[in-house]
Amino acid sequence: MRKNQIASNPLPDHVPPEMVRDFSLFTSPGMAPTANGDPHAAVACVHDGPPIFYSPNNTRDGQGTWVITRAKDQRTVLQDTETFSSHRSIFASALGENWPMIPLELDPPAHGIFRSLLNPLFSPQRVTALEPAVRERAVALIDSIAAAGTSCDLMKEFAFPFAVNIFLRFLGLPDDRLTTFVGWGKNLFHGDVPKRLAAAQRIVAFIDELAALRRKVPGDDFMTFVVQAQVQGRPLSDEEVRGIGVLVFAAGLDTVATAIGFDLAYLARNQKDQEWLRSEPDRIVLAAEELLRAYPTVQIIRVATKDIDFEGAPIRKGDYVSCASMIANRDPAEFDCPNTINLAREHNRHTAFAYGPHRCLGSHLARREIVIGLEEWLARIPPFRIKEGTAPIAHGGHVFGIENLILDWS
Amino acid sequence: MRIIVHNTKCQGHARCWAHAPDIFKLDDEGYILPGDIKVAEKDERLASQGARSCPERALVIDLTAAA
Ligand code: HEM
Ligand code: SF4
Repeated sequence: MRKNQIASNPLPDHVPPEMVRDFSLFTSPGMAPTANGDPHAAVACVHDGPPIFYSPNNTRDGQGTWVITRAKDQRTVLQDTETFSSHRSIFASALGENWPMIPLELDPPAHGIFRSLLNPLFSPQRVTALEPAVRERAVALIDSIAAAGTSCDLMKEFAFPFAVNIFLRFLGLPDDRLTTFVGWGKNLFHGDVPKRLAAAQRIVAFIDELAALRRKVPGDDFMTFVVQAQVQGRPLSDEEVRGIGVLVFAAGLDTVATAIGFDLAYLARNQKDQEWLRSEPDRIVLAAEELLRAYPTVQIIRVATKDIDFEGAPIRKGDYVSCASMIANRDPAEFDCPNTINLAREHNRHTAFAYGPHRCLGSHLARREIVIGLEEWLARIPPFRIKEGTAPIAHGGHVFGIENLILDWS
Repeated sequence: MRIIVHNTKCQGHARCWAHAPDIFKLDDEGYILPGDIKVAEKDERLASQGARSCPERALVIDLTAAA
C-alpha cells in the first residue's frame, strides 16, 4: 500500500494490519482505462491470496471494504440479508437526500413486496414475448452497418443504440433522446463527483416529470404501471415511484451494451471461437453464459448490520463488504480453469447477476438481448477482428466497461 | 429420481427452467413452483442438468427415490 493512502484513509482500528492487501478495483494495475486492457484477468490475481482481506480504498468515494473472493462465501453473504444489508441510499445521499432506490437498496421484507410487484414484468415468460421486437431492432441496426462499409465503432453504432433502444421502449421513452440518456449514464457511473451529481439530479428530475406525465396521460409502458400500482392495498408514494424509476433507468442504461462490447471484443480476438459460434449458432445460448461469467461488470456491496467474524475476519457493524462478481467468477474452487474461456462450459453457476434476493431483476431480458445481439451479429457480419492500428480501451471500477471498440471485416 | 425443491432459496434465476421448462415449472413471477419434483426415468439426464445449474443451490437431486 502506498503511504499517502494510509494518511488520507486511516485503517479502522479493528482491522488487523496483516489482513490488509494492496488491492483495489479502482487503483490496482489494469483498473484505469487501458488500451487493450483486460481488467477481468487483472483482478483474478486475488485468488492467489486469502479468501477475505481488507482493501483500504475500494469504493468510488475511496472507502475501505472487506473483499470476499470465493464464490461460495459471496453466496453466503448475498443470501444472508439480515447480516449484510443493502440499505445504503447511494444515489440519494450523493444528492444530500435520503430515499432508497427500489428494490436495490431495500432489505427483506420490504424488498420482497416490491420484487413481487415488479417480477412479473421481467419474468422469463414475459421476456419471451418481447423477443420479436428485440430481434427486429438488432437486424435493422446490423443491416445498416453492413450496408455502410466494412468496419464500425461497435459501442456507438450497435451496442448502445441496440440495448438502450429496447430499454427505452420498455420504459415508454422516445428514442430521440438516446444519446442524452447514454451521456447521463456515463457520467453517473464513470464521471467525477461533480459530473455524477449533475447526472443524478437530471435523472431524478426526468423520472419525476415522467411519473407526473404518466399519472395524467397513461400509456402502455413501465412508468404507467408503476404510477398505477398498489402494494399492500395502497398506491405507491411519490418517493417510491421515484426510487423504482431511477433504479430501473440507471440499471438498464449501459449494462447490456457493455456486456455485448466485451463479448464481441473477445470474439474479434479469438477467430476459432468466432467461427465455431457462427457455424453452430445453437451454441450461442451456452456461450453467452460463459461470456457473462468471464466478463461480468458489477461490484456488489453490502453493509454489515452487526459484528460478525467471517472466515477469520473481524467484520464490524457498518463495515462495507464487497462481493465483486468479476472476482467470484474467477474462483478456481467454483470453476475449473477459471481463467480459460471455454464457450462450451456447462454448470456455469456464475454471479454476473448476483446471488440472493437481489438477483438482477433485468437478468432475463439482459440474457435474451445478449444472445439475440450475438446471433444476429454473427449471422450478418463476416469474420471480424479489431481494426488494425486501433485498440479498445477497457477499465475497472465500480462498473467495468469498454470503449473505442472498432471492428473490421474488410 | 426426485428433485427436492428448497423454495426459500429460489431467487428466480430460471436456469433450471432454461434447461427443461416442462420439468421445472415457474410461477408468474418467474420463481419455481413449490413441491418436490418426481422425474421420469427418460428425463433424468435433463433434470439433473437443470438442478445442477441452480446458482442458489435451491435444487437437490435425490437419487434414492424411485419415480
Ligand atoms: C448484462 C447486463 C446486466 C448485468 C451484468 C446486471 C447485473 C446486476 C447485478 C449484479 C445486480 C445486483 C446488485 C446488488 O445486489 O447490489 C443487479 C440488480 C438489478 N438489476 Fe441488473 N444487470 C444487468 C442488466 C439489467 C437490466 C437490463 C435491467 C433492467 C431492465 C436491470 C435491472 C436491475 C434491477 C432493477 C436490479 C435490482 C434488483 C433488486 O435489488 O432486487 N439489470 N443487476
Ligand atoms: S435455477 Fe434455482 S433459483 Fe433459479 S428458478 Fe430454478 S430453482 Fe429457482
